[in-house]
Amino acid sequence: MTSAQIRFLTLSRREVSRFMKIKKQTIGAPLLETFLYISVFGAALGSRIDKLHGIDYVVFVIPGLIMMAWAINAFSNNSSSILQQKFQGAIQDQLSSPASPLELLVAFSLGGFMRGLLVSILTFIAASFLVDLPVEHIPVLIPALFLVGWFFAQLGVLIGVRAEQFDDVAIAQTFILQPLIFLGGVFYSAALLPEPFETLTKFNPVYYMIGLVRYGFLGYSESSVPIALLLLTIATAALFANNLRLFNRGYKLRA
Amino acid sequence: MIQDLVKRYPTGVEALKGVSLEMEAGEFFGLLGPNGAGKSTLIHCTTGLAQPTSGSIQVFGHDAITAYGEARQSVGLAPQELNLDWFLTVEETLDYHAGYFGMPKQERRERAKELLETFSLTAKRDERTRTLSGGMKRRLVLARALMHRPPLLILDEPTAGVDIELRLELWHYVQRINQEGTSILLTTHYLEEAEQLCDRVAFINEGEIVAQGSSPELSEKYGVANLEDAYLALMGRKELSRSHFEGLAS
Repeated sequence: MTSAQIRFLTLSRREVSRFMKIKKQTIGAPLLETFLYISVFGAALGSRIDKLHGIDYVVFVIPGLIMMAWAINAFSNNSSSILQQKFQGAIQDQLSSPASPLELLVAFSLGGFMRGLLVSILTFIAASFLVDLPVEHIPVLIPALFLVGWFFAQLGVLIGVRAEQFDDVAIAQTFILQPLIFLGGVFYSAALLPEPFETLTKFNPVYYMIGLVRYGFLGYSESSVPIALLLLTIATAALFANNLRLFNRGYKLRA
Repeated sequence: MIQDLVKRYPTGVEALKGVSLEMEAGEFFGLLGPNGAGKSTLIHCTTGLAQPTSGSIQVFGHDAITAYGEARQSVGLAPQELNLDWFLTVEETLDYHAGYFGMPKQERRERAKELLETFSLTAKRDERTRTLSGGMKRRLVLARALMHRPPLLILDEPTAGVDIELRLELWHYVQRINQEGTSILLTTHYLEEAEQLCDRVAFINEGEIVAQGSSPELSEKYGVANLEDAYLALMGRKELSRSHFEGLAS
């Protein structure tokens, strides 16, 4: 193994081992949360709600929950990890190493991405035991989930780098991310909303992400799959390019 | 080698105003100056933690900006703040650091074992860093800086707030590795420390190097008995000299 490979693996290992060391909080809590959503919206309320577009309500909801788990975990992991390391000053150890800005950015991003992946897989396995969950379009589902995970991993890195206090991360998550995800149609079909909310929902980028993942699982979509996939790819690439530019400049990382 | 180094922060504060400094390989060099003089900024520019506004830094012939990989590989930094990762154990702290510098696993293990022993941290190897005492954290920061066997060790106020025993232990250790060939850049507020350890020192004040030379050279230049008095003469605070007080008492 070359020294560059050892360096990159160590940088990534640090990020993964961080969340694995506190897995009750980073893996257990999100799993419980998702299980509660499935219980409340599936078992308790779902039985009283008609099928949506011919699909049982609980089955309709699960793809969105899997996507939401990946998105929120990728975001919160990376924003917290970077801010904590900045706060402790421990990030100086990585910053004063020979690691390039690209290596640092990818390693910091991978932490949240892997945590989201893990929670999503566990959610999928648990959901598969509870309901009969179809997987209709794997070639759409896998890239869609990976792009969503990478997009929110980048967003987490961006907020973590910009943040100066823990409030900054909490505000971004509570007042921007969660409303966007909840109002993006995790728990309902936008087609059922009255105007102007149906139209407003279409300005929410998360609506298209949920649409893609739902299409991958259920074969049902309210929007154009190729266009949504293309736009998500462009948005993810743009966010990554922006983060790389900030890392190259040392923005809020190097004085 | 540092040439015409300028560091201006976005706030407009100019922490370094064209600093030039040359350190020989194998030298024990002291950088002395009051708080806010620019010592840490200079160190941060050398290690990539701050980005110089202009000027150049060469570390063993590698430019710290354009060839930062090679330059940083040559430097071990023990910073003033105990910037340890709370999530890591003592041994992991050393292991991860060496990994960031590309050291293979087996070599990391052996090196960590050796340094844990040297700094009396073996019994604490599996403890999380936040549970350590201040003195142990200081030792760990120094051990971490040495993990990748850097030819240049930068010690930013390593003995600030440590007890006498640890201070002496650190002195003996850094003297030994200096004799074995490691170049050392030391910043300190303890002038007797610099006098005892350093081959040469430079005084920095308000972002400028105001004098440099060996301790006897500087004492002679300012017509005083020791480095502390030379420092006070340079800072315009001769009245604080211990000999002045002794004179008053008699």
